[in-house]
Amino acid sequence: MGIFQTVFVYADKTEMLAELCAGGKQLGSQVCALVLGPKEEVDKAFSYGADSVYHLGELKDRRIEDYTETIIHLVQKEKPELILIRSSKRAKLIAGRLAAELKTSVLTDVMEFTVDNNELHTKRLVYGGAGLKREYSTSEVVVATVGGGVFEALIEDNSRKGNIVEVDFVQPAHPVRCIEIRKKESESVNLSAAKCVVGVGRGFAKQEDLTLAKDLANLIGAEVGCSRPIAEGENWLPKERYIGVSGAMVKPDVYVAIGISGQIQHMVGANSAKTIVAINKDKAAPIFKQADYGIVGDLYTVLPALIEKIKVSK
Amino acid sequence: MKIITCYKIVPEEQDIVVKDDRTLSFDRAEWKIGQYDLNAVEAGMKLAEATGGSASALSIGGKELENSKLKKGILSRGPKELFIIADDYLREADTFQTASALAAAIKKMGSFDLILCGEGSSDLYAQQVGPQLGQLLGVTTLNAVSKIIPEGNKLVVERTLEDEVEVLEVTLPAVISVTTDINLPRIPGMKDILAAGKKPVTQWCLADIGTENIDCPTRSISTLAPDQTERKQIILEGEEAVQKLYDAVFK
Repeated sequence: MGIFQTVFVYADKTEMLAELCAGGKQLGSQVCALVLGPKEEVDKAFSYGADSVYHLGELKDRRIEDYTETIIHLVQKEKPELILIRSSKRAKLIAGRLAAELKTSVLTDVMEFTVDNNELHTKRLVYGGAGLKREYSTSEVVVATVGGGVFEALIEDNSRKGNIVEVDFVQPAHPVRCIEIRKKESESVNLSAAKCVVGVGRGFAKQEDLTLAKDLANLIGAEVGCSRPIAEGENWLPKERYIGVSGAMVKPDVYVAIGISGQIQHMVGANSAKTIVAINKDKAAPIFKQADYGIVGDLYTVLPALIEKIKVSK
Repeated sequence: MKIITCYKIVPEEQDIVVKDDRTLSFDRAEWKIGQYDLNAVEAGMKLAEATGGSASALSIGGKELENSKLKKGILSRGPKELFIIADDYLREADTFQTASALAAAIKKMGSFDLILCGEGSSDLYAQQVGPQLGQLLGVTTLNAVSKIIPEGNKLVVERTLEDEVEVLEVTLPAVISVTTDINLPRIPGMKDILAAGKKPVTQWCLADIGTENIDCPTRSISTLAPDQTERKQIILEGEEAVQKLYDAVFK
C-alpha cells in the first residue's frame, strides 16, 4: 500500500497511538504523531514508530478539546493527505470539528482500509450491523477514525528518535469550563480478549436470575456479556458488557448465548466466535440459524442441568 | 431559551432484507424517525418546559420527509413547529453535506440558543453531524452529553466519556449531541397526535437556503451484508440435549 506521502496520527490517549503509527506506516511514507502531554509521551510515540512528532503541549489544567483549534491550525498549515484518529468520544468531537473546517466528512469507525486503483477504500458497519459500507473520500485531506484492533502495533523500540516540532497553542474560540471530573465506577472488562463468553439477553425474567449465567461463566472461565437491552434498557449489567454493533466485538473460542433472540445488531458483535451455542425457548428465534449448537428449552431448566453436568464431570 | 432539535428520517432496520447477492433491499422497510433523535427531541422539550422557552424541530433529507405521518410523529412529541428541507439530492447525503444544509437552514430560521442532535443517526451512526454543525455555526460544540441543567443563561451539562464523566459549564449558543441515557422519550397520546396536525410546517427547497451545490466529499462504493461465518446449526432437543451439548462443547 503506502499511497500517501504524509499521514498524521492522533489519539486522545498516547498509548493508543501504537496501532495508528503502524497503520500510518502501511498507508504512507511519513508518519507524524500529534502528541499532547509530557516529554515521555513524545518518546513513546517514537517507540511506536512515528517518524516525527508534533508536540501540542503538556495539557496541564486545560481540557483535551481546548487543543482542537491548535490541531485545526496545524492540519491546515501542513496539509497531510491522511489523518488517522483513534475512535473515542473526545476524538470524534475533535475529528468532526476539524473536518468541518476542511469542508469534508469523517470516515468513522473504519474496520478495514484497502488501496484500490490508488484510492483509499474504507469499510464500516451501517444499519445496526446489517450492512458493511465501502466508501472513499475525495477530500484533499482524508480524515478517518479507527477502532482498536484494525492495525497491529509494531514492536516497541525505545532507541527510535525523530524530529520534534513544538506547536504553538491556539486559543479556543469557545472555551468550556470544567467544573468536575468523576471517574466512572465501571469495572474494566476486556470482553474482546476473552476466550469464552456467556451472553445474556431478554430471556432472563429478572436481574437476580443472572446469577445462573454467572455460575456457568465461573465454571467454564468465561466473561459475562449481554445484549443491548440488558445494559441500556434494564441496566442489569454495565454498558462495558454489551456485545454488538456499538458495543464490544468479541472473538472467543466459545460464545454461549442465553435467552438472546439473535438480532443482527447483537450477532455482528459475536460473529467472530469460533463456536456459538444458543439456549432459547423460542424454536423460531433467529439465533438458531446463527449457532453451531442450539438447545430449544427453558433456560431456567437447561442452565441448572448444564451447570450440574459440568460440575459433576470436573 | 430558543431550542432547535435536528432529526433524521431513517429506514426501519428490522425490515431490511439481505438478498442472495448480499445487497440489501429496503423495499419492505418503512421510514421512521431516527431512534436516537427521539432523545434529543425529548431533551429539547424538557428544557423548553423548564425555562419557559420554545422548541422547534428541523430535518433535511429525501422526499420521505414530506410524509404526513412522520411530520405528525415528530410534532406530537412536543415541538411547536417544524422545518423541513426535502430533496432527493439529500437522501444519500454524507455528514458534511448534512451539517452544511442544517447550518444553512438554521441561519435562515434566525437566532437560536441551543441546537440539539441525537448521538448518531440510527442508520449510518457516524456521530458526526452535531460536531460538524457546531463548528460550521461557530458556536460551542459538545457530544456525549447525558444530562442538561439550565442555570440562568448557561447550562451545566454532564458528558459521559469512556471512563469518566465531565461536568461542564456551557455558555450559549451551543450545539449539543445527547446520549440515549439522557431521558426516556415520551410516547405521544391521541391528543398530542391530533394537536400535531395543526402545528405549522415550513418546507424549503435547497435554493431557498442557498445550498444547491454543496459537494458530497464521501463516495459510496457498495453496501453489502457482512460475511456470515458458516454455522453447524445443530439443534438439540429432548432429555439428552444437555448431555449432547456438554459432549460437543464443554467436555
